[in-house]
Amino acid sequence: MSDSVLEIKGLEVVYSTNRGDVKAVRGIDLDVRRGEILGIAGESGSGKSTLAVALLRLLKAPGKVTGGSVMFHPAGRSPVDLLKVHGEELRVLRWSALSYLPQGSMSSLNPVMRVHDQFKDVIVEHAPDRKEAVSDMIPRLLAQVGLEPRVARMYPHELSGGMKQRVLMAIAVALEPDLVIADEPTTALDVTIQRVILQSLADLRTDFGVTLMVISHDMGVHAQLADRVAVMYEGQLVEVGDVRQVFKDPQDAYTRQLIESIPKLGRRAS
Amino acid sequence: MTAEAPPVVAVDKSQDSAPPSGVRAWLSRHPLAAYAIRRVGLYFVELWGALTIAFFFFRLIPGDPVQTLIQTLQQNYMYNQQASTELIARYQQEFGLTGNMFSQYLKYMEKLVLHGDLGPSLINYPTPAQDVILRSLPWTIGLLGISAVLAWVLGVLLGAIAGWRRGKLGSAIATNLSIALSHVPYFFVALILVYIFAYSMGVLPARSAYDSNISPGISLEFIGSVLKYGLLPGLSIVIIGTFSWILSTRMLMVPVLGEDYLVYAEAKGLKGWRILTRYALRNCYLPQITAFGISLGFIFNGNVLVEQLFNYPGLGTTLVTAIQQLDFNTILGVTDIAIFSVLTAVLLLDLLLPLLDPRVKYWK
Repeated sequence: MSDSVLEIKGLEVVYSTNRGDVKAVRGIDLDVRRGEILGIAGESGSGKSTLAVALLRLLKAPGKVTGGSVMFHPAGRSPVDLLKVHGEELRVLRWSALSYLPQGSMSSLNPVMRVHDQFKDVIVEHAPDRKEAVSDMIPRLLAQVGLEPRVARMYPHELSGGMKQRVLMAIAVALEPDLVIADEPTTALDVTIQRVILQSLADLRTDFGVTLMVISHDMGVHAQLADRVAVMYEGQLVEVGDVRQVFKDPQDAYTRQLIESIPKLGRRAS
Repeated sequence: MTAEAPPVVAVDKSQDSAPPSGVRAWLSRHPLAAYAIRRVGLYFVELWGALTIAFFFFRLIPGDPVQTLIQTLQQNYMYNQQASTELIARYQQEFGLTGNMFSQYLKYMEKLVLHGDLGPSLINYPTPAQDVILRSLPWTIGLLGISAVLAWVLGVLLGAIAGWRRGKLGSAIATNLSIALSHVPYFFVALILVYIFAYSMGVLPARSAYDSNISPGISLEFIGSVLKYGLLPGLSIVIIGTFSWILSTRMLMVPVLGEDYLVYAEAKGLKGWRILTRYALRNCYLPQITAFGISLGFIFNGNVLVEQLFNYPGLGTTLVTAIQQLDFNTILGVTDIAIFSVLTAVLLLDLLLPLLDPRVKYWK
């Protein structure tokens, strides 16, 4: 138990519509182990992104959590139920313990702030003692994801999609959080950049020892990156297991379909 | 606004083509300076065009200012004699009414541009119109300028908060109040304020700009008096102005709140106030800066009634008197001042915008 960063029990999320509630996540039990890369797979609408925003406590109306608990065990702090913390308590937990890696093609970077300042505000907010060191930290963090120090002086609109994704990765690990939740980190990037990003993500785990939860519809991503993979279908987990095990011997029919959906050379759509 | 621009590859042509020479090459290497020069050039064209239109427009007003002057003189000084044709000719010469319209225009522009001379005023003959205007201008700038800036700052801040807290009761009240009040004319609010504070409670003066028992000058007593007398007219402008800025700022704010970078800022665990100012407001307040420049013109025109109501010795009061007396030179002068101030304000703001928002680029 102590090696779990996150213990999700019976999590339920619904979206209220004027035709009644739509259940997006229907009772999920899942453990995220410290230091692992856990992949969450599933098709569009399977509830994987809803799961991510619910865990990050970024769920907005009309979505709401209707049940379950999410015990979070940050290193050096007392465990908390993520669904029960509010206000200042939650704000302090963010980034230093629980951080978020959004999709790079989304405009997650503030368009009117230099990259440098978008690192600085979050570092100064949660680790005021490192204020002096910020100028040294940023080039190091950028180098970690393969970017030059001059990127710090640029504005988001001067960066390419792949560069933005790397900046977001560097910001995500800036405070060495216990858990990073990455929502579709490679979607909307071209395949060569995807490879590089996946490699950098794997390197970040090695270098920072962060635990990563990677949400992706792309089974190829999980095959390359994840240690374990959890497959979601219509708001439920249909299979959780070691990634090699799941790929070699999928227990569930849906998982089999997903794996077969990976394009292979020499097999053409008819 | 947030659409991703295609990556721009900066090609420095000076490296592979012929060596750069002359003004063109210098301009292509300094796009910001090139933009500023072009923008300032445009400013002078605009200024000239607007002044020209204003000149001809006012010449179309039927009536003869000289006849009006003679009438005024007759009334005021019991000048009973019939004015001689010689006298009329002299006045027409002085007021720049001789020759055809075009030569009048040339003479007017020459005097205005070279000497800053607007010609004699009728209401205070023979004082030049520019002196009449300059006497009332400080009052208008003091009263309207400060009120306008105050209304803008308050309105943008409160509007940002109203947008930020949308869905909450306080925000709903502020929004609906703004919808109701933002188009109420200034003078209406002024009347209500006068009724409450000057008539019923009798705590604030309702007329003039300062206590006539105090001699104007740089003294605490005089400044205090000016502030006290300016409070009601100023307040009426600030109240209505603030509400209209609240409404428009809230409107700009709401779409920005749905942007990904706001969710990201929340995930970063930044403090609410910081997200509001650095992430939300900074991405949407730019149109409000431009709008402020444009609103200056409306302030000049729209507050004529406020000044009239409070008998405030500003530009508005001067303008009304001038119109009543058909004082061409003063009317035109006040219009010229309004044109000049709006165009200059917009020019300065245009030059300022690229510094405020990195995405603003006028140059290629």
